[in-house]
Amino acid sequence: MGTSITTWENVSAYFTFADNPMALGLFVAGATVIVVGLIRSIIKHENEAFKQHK
Amino acid sequence: MSETPTLESLQAALDAQQAIFEMHQSMNMEVFYWWCTAIMFLIHAGFLAYEMGASRSKNALAAGIKNILALVVIIPTFYLFGWWIYNAFPGGFIPAEASAALPWSQSMGPDAKDLGTGVFWAAFALFGATTGSILSGAVIERIRVSAFLILTIVLGSGVWILGGAWGWHPDGWLLTKLGYHDVGASGVVHAIAGFFTLGVLLNLGARKGKFIDGVAQTISPHSLPMTLIGLMLIIVGFFGFLGGCIIFNGGDTGWTTIYGNPTNLSAFAFNTLMGFSGGIIGCYVATRDPFWTMSGGLVGIISVAAGLDLYDPGLAFIIATCMGVAAVYFAKLLENLGIDDAVGAVAVHGFTGVVAVILVGVFAAGTPNVNGLPPISFMGQLTSAGVMIALGFLPGYGLSLLLKKLNMLRVPEKCEELGIDEVEILAKPYPEAGVPAIAASDVPNKLANTELQGA
Repeated sequence: MGTSITTWENVSAYFTFADNPMALGLFVAGATVIVVGLIRSIIKHENEAFKQHK
Repeated sequence: MSETPTLESLQAALDAQQAIFEMHQSMNMEVFYWWCTAIMFLIHAGFLAYEMGASRSKNALAAGIKNILALVVIIPTFYLFGWWIYNAFPGGFIPAEASAALPWSQSMGPDAKDLGTGVFWAAFALFGATTGSILSGAVIERIRVSAFLILTIVLGSGVWILGGAWGWHPDGWLLTKLGYHDVGASGVVHAIAGFFTLGVLLNLGARKGKFIDGVAQTISPHSLPMTLIGLMLIIVGFFGFLGGCIIFNGGDTGWTTIYGNPTNLSAFAFNTLMGFSGGIIGCYVATRDPFWTMSGGLVGIISVAAGLDLYDPGLAFIIATCMGVAAVYFAKLLENLGIDDAVGAVAVHGFTGVVAVILVGVFAAGTPNVNGLPPISFMGQLTSAGVMIALGFLPGYGLSLLLKKLNMLRVPEKCEELGIDEVEILAKPYPEAGVPAIAASDVPNKLANTELQGA
């Protein structure tokens, strides 16, 4: 479903969704959300942990 | 009876052989950087052991988890924007066209015809992770993990690579205007990361108990042997790091520096090893301390890295020995100023990196650059060293000040007293050290309430 090629002849970028800028943009957004979400989750965890040890 | 070859058939055979040769040359280049990147991972294995050992046992796992997470946030953020910064900003602060380095570009993924982008991106991402690790050691035992990760993303995927674009890109303005020479990244990696760290330390403050009545106290590592092994692993990883600093060219060019000047791995081998030895001797003589002795290996290599391709090995040895002594005195100066750098990162990386850049201007001034670029000069190196200091220090100080104002920089005092492992990590590095193994554990079982438990 996500392949960007139909043949290996003269192939260049062949990764999934390489021909679909919208999908690539969405993956970038998803990756950003994961990194930001990780830091946000750590902040939340820290705040709770520090509260328990006041 | 075989046909007589024609000129056309001979030309076709020659073209085919040439294509095969070029493909193998490209593959060799890929293989080289692949293994440089793999060896660079040992830098992070080393920092992991080194920082955990340098912490007191109550903070050992927090130091470790911080180090692991630094690596895994720098890699994706370097994919998202770090590589683009390198390609877009060689001219200063105004971005040039570099759409091929954007993460939604077709160049930023598997491509049958591109045998370079992926391995170069990987090597640079690992350089960035090294800057994060330089910061990581200095701030152990009191920084919040979240604050550290924010700072390390800015440093590892933003600040250092901007310096890389200026001083390590073929079109970087420090090279084209000043003839900047820094082949082994003394400036663009070590000086920038070291002075970024200094900026953070000024806002973070010292560990509780480090200074009593203004007098610096020794906070001993909980495992000095672990720090020594870690430091030696970092040295091993440096061979990947420095290998990644040399350009494997196709055609008949052979090895060049990142500036296009001829060099080879033999030049790097002479001076890396002589620098390593000199640095250890200098730090040992200055301290007789195991931790600083081993740190001297880093000082020695960093002190000659900027001119790794140019120095006489004897000169490299002398420079490294002197810098081993000087770095110790710089670390003492910082302590006298009330700055608590837990592992001496500012002295080892920042101070040494800056002096290393300047020394190239002292000993190698007049060395020409290719393509009509300005030759190496003392003033060019001195100015560039100043740029590296400012580029590292200002963002580190500014961002950590902001985090401090938001009360997000440092763990609470109670947490620092108890230890971050107990409060935040909820794990013990040595759980059976004080109690029999058969006693009920006071460490929570993090898998006890998961859905899959007992499934």
